[in-house]
Amino acid sequence: MNQKPSDQDTKLRPHTYDGIQEYDNRLPNWWLWTFYLAVIFSFLYWFIWADTSFLIDDETSVEQKIAEIEAIQLAAVGELNNDVLWAMSKNPTIVTEGKVLFEGKGTCFTCHGLQLEGGTGLNLVDQTWKWGNQPMSVYTVVSQGSPDTSKGMISWMNQLGPDGIKKIVAYILSHHSEESMQNAASENPPIGL
Amino acid sequence: MPQQDTKRPNRSLVTTINNDGSHFCVHPADIKGRFVRLRRIVGYALIAFFVGLPWIPINGHPAVFLDIIDRRFHLFGFTLSFQDTWLLFFVVSGLGFSLFYITALFGRVWCGWACPQTVYLEHVYRRIERWIEGDANARRKLDRITISPEKILKRTLKYTIFFLVSFIIAHIFLSYFVSLPLLWRMITLSPAENWTSFLFVFFFTTVLFINFAWFREQLCIVICPYGRFQSALIDDHTKNVAYDYNRGNPPGKRNDPAAGDCIDCHRCVQVCPTGIDIRQGLQLECIGCSACIDACDEIMEKVHTPKGLIRYASDAELKGGKTQWIRFRTISYTILLFIGAIIAFQAFSTLNNTSIAVIRMSGSPYYLTADSVRNQYQVRLTNKTNALIQLKGSITANAEQAFTTNGFERAISLQPMEETLATFVITVPKQSFTGNFPIAVEVTNPEDPTLHLTQTVEFLGPDPKLLNR
Repeated sequence: MNQKPSDQDTKLRPHTYDGIQEYDNRLPNWWLWTFYLAVIFSFLYWFIWADTSFLIDDETSVEQKIAEIEAIQLAAVGELNNDVLWAMSKNPTIVTEGKVLFEGKGTCFTCHGLQLEGGTGLNLVDQTWKWGNQPMSVYTVVSQGSPDTSKGMISWMNQLGPDGIKKIVAYILSHHSEESMQNAASENPPIGL
Repeated sequence: MPQQDTKRPNRSLVTTINNDGSHFCVHPADIKGRFVRLRRIVGYALIAFFVGLPWIPINGHPAVFLDIIDRRFHLFGFTLSFQDTWLLFFVVSGLGFSLFYITALFGRVWCGWACPQTVYLEHVYRRIERWIEGDANARRKLDRITISPEKILKRTLKYTIFFLVSFIIAHIFLSYFVSLPLLWRMITLSPAENWTSFLFVFFFTTVLFINFAWFREQLCIVICPYGRFQSALIDDHTKNVAYDYNRGNPPGKRNDPAAGDCIDCHRCVQVCPTGIDIRQGLQLECIGCSACIDACDEIMEKVHTPKGLIRYASDAELKGGKTQWIRFRTISYTILLFIGAIIAFQAFSTLNNTSIAVIRMSGSPYYLTADSVRNQYQVRLTNKTNALIQLKGSITANAEQAFTTNGFERAISLQPMEETLATFVITVPKQSFTGNFPIAVEVTNPEDPTLHLTQTVEFLGPDPKLLNR
């Protein structure tokens, strides 16, 4: 039963620790091969990373991704100018969707009021505009934030997207007419034109 | 030198590794018996369980659906978001500790009865091999042949079926993460459209195929750490698959009066899937599959000797004593398991089907106007249910503090599984601002009184001394 293996089978190592000795048996080939392949891989890996022209480095790949996202956002905006926004403000479906966004989740009404009467934020139904009496100025303030960063109007682009912002601007414009807005005062030169 | 196709196991060498380092392929002989039968039932039940879970809908989601795309985990009707991942600690440590516990009691029953490696190898792949290539002797004979039309035919058939089975298992595994409808859509589309999933399935299929067609017991013997520390997990009173050496030794002929009950028939060696001789005692290669128990019982019956020469027995039993079920190890493990279970239960009961996280809105930490200090916040709300819910937000602070809140005037509606950011601002008159103070954000669901989410955040402002100068 307890067959003694022949010397060819195993080599007993001379050292003894705590009365335990070990055999110097051959490792399985598949194991040795994982070692050889790891050595080969490490050279390849080192070679590829040492010469960055093989792979795109992190900075470039991040820049590429940002450019991709910006391109998608630009494409999503579609055609955008004062006329388009005015046209949207006359479409009841879009205005209703804008109203839902305006009043939803405390987004706009928190500062601008449920009747757009203002509060923490500016009044959006009076005849005075801070950053321009043009629809595109309103769009620019919502999408990029107020140029005056001490007031707390942040950029809503990431949270609402270009589509959402267009609808919200349409909802605001539905409280005005092209004529009344042209005659309204602007405290600063209109932005976003 | 051609390798011999049967070996006598010894304790100085691993049977399944040849002297030249190549893999020795074990061909276990067929066995019949109660443990084999029971083990097969358990194995098929476990496979049915694994295959079935993605198909069984509970609360509108598959029983187990680890949705990595939406970062939600659906487990038997509960939905966890990725913010709840910390609970995984209890699942992983609980499973690990249960494994320790069961090892202390019954040795490596996990390996032999429930480990996927054994379940699929013994009940699926080896069954297919047995069906195509015949019994152990026929398989060895086929191994010996260098090349023949029969060998080419049988091996092609075997490996094709092995590959198909691996392919199916890989798909089912993937469906745990993407759900069946999406899996089906990805199957019907071209690989280029979902190349990461395609690569995953291809890679996983290849790994399964190599593992079950060739690697097999090497995983248990060389890679899996569990067998390596079995000697630390078991003691003299652990029930293991064991050979009763007092009764069996010395092995010899039936009519030899000096011999023990073991007739040295080598049946236990022939049926062993890892190629050991259980009569040499407990070894790390032993996966506790109990095949040798059935094999030995069959022989003992034939030679009219009591069964159980190889059986589930503890070391203490073999030495003539009794197995002590209640001992320091089992008592302490039970206590620890109990403590762990209480803490895990506590942790899971804090779980809500809606979650809240208040963050400061981007921009300045506070804003000053002519007569007030203002803080702007956003609260991230996640609806983990399958229903539309309406939430109500409110703010409380200590009674003397004057403040006004905007943003929570209306209910916040959340679509099923929706995650949203709700905005609110808090304004404090300059005169009454006496320094930073904590505010409690509360979110409730009027239709569900059990839901009560709160988070405390700090209202920030400038130093009041500078403010009212």
